[in-house]
Amino acid sequence: MAMIEVDNLTKEFHDSDGRAFRAVDGLSFQVEAGQIYGLLGPNGAGKTTSLRMLSALMTPSSGRITVNGYTVGEHVFEIKQSIGFLTANTGLYQRLSPRDVLRYFGELHGFDKQQARDRCEVLIREMDITDFSDQRCGTLSTGQKQRTNIARALIADPPVLIMDEPTLGLDVMSNRVILDFIIAQREAGKAIILSTHYLDEAETMCDMIGLLHRGRIVAEGTIDELRERADAVRLSSIFLKLIHAHDPLEGVLP
Amino acid sequence: MNFSRTWSIYVKELVDLLRDHRTLLAMIVVPIVLYPALMLGGIQVLSTQTAELEESRFVIAFQEKSHWDDVIAPMLQDEITLLQARRAKAAADGASEELLAAMPKPVAPLIDPKITLNLEEAVRSRQVHCGVIVESAGNLQVPGQEQWRLKLLYQPEDLRSQVASERLTAAFERVADSVVERRLRMRQLDPVLIKPIVVAREQLTSAGSVLGLIVPLILVLMTITGAIYPAIDVTAGERERGTLESLMVCPVPVIDLICGKFMVVSTIAIIGAALNLASVTVTVFLGGFQQMLNMGAAEGEAGFPFWALPVVLLCLIPLAVLMSAIMIAVCSCARTFKEAQNYVLPVILAALFPGGIAALPGSRLEGLNLVMPVGNMVLLTRELLSGAHVPAASYAWVLLSTCLYAVAAVALAANVFGRESVLFADSVSLKAVFNRRLFRPAELPTLSSAALYTALLFPIWFHVQNLLQISSDDAVAGAIRGTALLLPVLFVLVPVAAMSYWRVELKKSLRTAMPSGRFLIGGVLIGLTAWIPASELFVFQDAYLASPPSLVEMNKSLMAALESMSLPMALLCLAIVPGVGEELFFRGFLLSAFGTKLKPWTAILATAIIFGVFHFIIFRFAVTMGLGIVLGVLCWRSRSVWPGIIAHVLHNGLAVYTVYNEGWRRSIGIPESETWPVHLPWHVILVGGGIFLLGIACVIVRSGQPPVQAEPAVG
Repeated sequence: MAMIEVDNLTKEFHDSDGRAFRAVDGLSFQVEAGQIYGLLGPNGAGKTTSLRMLSALMTPSSGRITVNGYTVGEHVFEIKQSIGFLTANTGLYQRLSPRDVLRYFGELHGFDKQQARDRCEVLIREMDITDFSDQRCGTLSTGQKQRTNIARALIADPPVLIMDEPTLGLDVMSNRVILDFIIAQREAGKAIILSTHYLDEAETMCDMIGLLHRGRIVAEGTIDELRERADAVRLSSIFLKLIHAHDPLEGVLP
Repeated sequence: MNFSRTWSIYVKELVDLLRDHRTLLAMIVVPIVLYPALMLGGIQVLSTQTAELEESRFVIAFQEKSHWDDVIAPMLQDEITLLQARRAKAAADGASEELLAAMPKPVAPLIDPKITLNLEEAVRSRQVHCGVIVESAGNLQVPGQEQWRLKLLYQPEDLRSQVASERLTAAFERVADSVVERRLRMRQLDPVLIKPIVVAREQLTSAGSVLGLIVPLILVLMTITGAIYPAIDVTAGERERGTLESLMVCPVPVIDLICGKFMVVSTIAIIGAALNLASVTVTVFLGGFQQMLNMGAAEGEAGFPFWALPVVLLCLIPLAVLMSAIMIAVCSCARTFKEAQNYVLPVILAALFPGGIAALPGSRLEGLNLVMPVGNMVLLTRELLSGAHVPAASYAWVLLSTCLYAVAAVALAANVFGRESVLFADSVSLKAVFNRRLFRPAELPTLSSAALYTALLFPIWFHVQNLLQISSDDAVAGAIRGTALLLPVLFVLVPVAAMSYWRVELKKSLRTAMPSGRFLIGGVLIGLTAWIPASELFVFQDAYLASPPSLVEMNKSLMAALESMSLPMALLCLAIVPGVGEELFFRGFLLSAFGTKLKPWTAILATAIIFGVFHFIIFRFAVTMGLGIVLGVLCWRSRSVWPGIIAHVLHNGLAVYTVYNEGWRRSIGIPESETWPVHLPWHVILVGGGIFLLGIACVIVRSGQPPVQAEPAVG
């Protein structure tokens, strides 16, 4: 069984007049352990909404999600325990130190004080946080914040990582930290979903790519399979071609 | 709820907030600086104003110069002579300096006369303070029957004008008195003849009494403001800094999160309240303002009631808790700090309104004021700080109602905070909250909505009851009929309308399904005999907490009112309507909603307490709550509201019937009501109690299938 299974997922929103709008419309895909699945798509394609439903932050309107054998809607806490969640604009508590933050999230994940302290020290060593582990987060550099954030996402050593545009707006150095971390986690056998705007990033990192457009997957496969289907080499051209084929009126890159 | 996790949240938020210098500033510096500044500044301003009024000159207008020169000026000259004589006499009698200083001073030296034709216009346009029209004049020095007619024009809205008119009137009266005295003496009569009563008024209030009114309001407001900053920081602040999402992906239920956050905001608000109170105490103690806080207390009487301070603090705690919960609920809707500040402003204004009403000099801690949110706390604090005795029942009302509102607000906060639409919405639309098409059908009402309605209903029902007693000529009977009319509306129709609007399943929520026969039999048995344990419980309670004579009086007037009504009418108003209505509300609506989140026993106990509270008489609370528990168990076990209705109607009906037919009571040997409360005869307790227990057994003995707990409502 795949680590993440998404089956016919939909999410409807309503505006203030009660008109329905489908942000996600019959989405299905699977992610195996040790695999990076790239979720690509223009703005408003439904990437963030899908990832929020996967992390049990939102309730799906219909469809089924299984993570690590648990079903969204039924096993909310087990699912949250199995997931590490990271986005580029995830903030840290400005007035706490990285050590405080990690211990706090450890306790929130059900560790007792000693366990939380131990796990926190392990992550501080692994993520190379030692030098600034007692500074207040408000004073850290962007790269230091990113490393702290990664450590936070890994606090419960989850088998699944969900990354919603984790490198958005980061400089080259911080970017590298994140990408190295993602690859290392794949080596460690985690199932990873990566939603991104940077196509070259997706090209080099993802084992599988799903092109999301208007809440549906319009094409799915390895980068080579997609190249073949679209008869193009660069992912950006593939992206444009496939979306254009699906929706001739569309065709503008975000 | 997982307490250790809530505790982690609490500790983290507390550390986070206390590391913020803004929290410390608002919490510590403001109270320490505010009170001394307020008291010193306020007293100086007040005393300057008072002094100004004492010394200020008055412009008095006359139509003709002769009116002043020939009539009024000599008259006021007489006053000067009179007062000088009086003062000389007092000094000779050995009056103290202060007494002499407090004696009235002549008004003449303060007057600037002005001649103008149109007096009315001059007074209206505030060119002059008073106008004096001399309608007819005689010679004061000539003995006889002459009468002088004067007319004073003044403007009550203008303080100076009012003071001028008062001082002039006082002067004229003094002169008139002396003329009368002279006339009587000329006729060899004793002046005592026309002055049988001499009133000496002694004014004891000082400038500080105004502070006595304001300080409680400020204390309460500071407690409220203490909750604002932390409430915004832990809700909208968390969202603005981008930490909310990572918090929500943690395996922690929203209620744990909100409880931790709510506890921290309450803590800060309570610390703030304590510091405020400490600052007041120090200011009063060091500043020597003790006398000024005691309204109307004579010199040398009990000083500032320092013993009351811990009591005031204890009373401020529920208020701090209530406002923390409200602030969290409101700020949870905001995305940014700024937006939250906009939402908070109306809340403060809303709190200021009842608080301001309560701060008016005439407001007393009684009636509806007892349950007025915030206002009741202002009044209680004022009474305590003025050293007044506050009856236990008043404490109970104030604290109980505040706690009730706080529970509702916490429930509301949990409901709002966890909502997906609030969590991720770009803006929270009020329209969407009330758009029926967006509601998912739910089986049962939510705990928070039920708690909210109950909290709103509490002051309304209290007010309705008081109003009914005042408005009808025949107080008690009118109140009974009015209650019977309004109870179905407030306790049944409104909740039913709200539930059907929000698409809640009515049948399941109100538990209108028919139960199996044994529960109906149990209901009948309990309804017929519940008065026996109730009566014994009351006797027991009476031994420890003697019921006041007013309760006996109330019972008597109730019985008198019943006798003036026909039996069917009395049964309808006091047995059928309350039996059906209260069961549908407390055991249908409320118990269903509470059962979604609470364990059965907690839910039954909670509804029973609310049931007791809604009967508004503290001495009947234990008995009513006991009945509430029995009825709650009856409903929970049978999963139907009908056995409870039967029991409730029978119980009330029996009490009514007893008033109309004392015969059957005597026949089983129950003592007369005059000797009440006393134990029932043993044979009644044995037989009746046995039947009661049989009824209970019918209800709680498990048959084949165990009762299924209600499923939590969705959404």
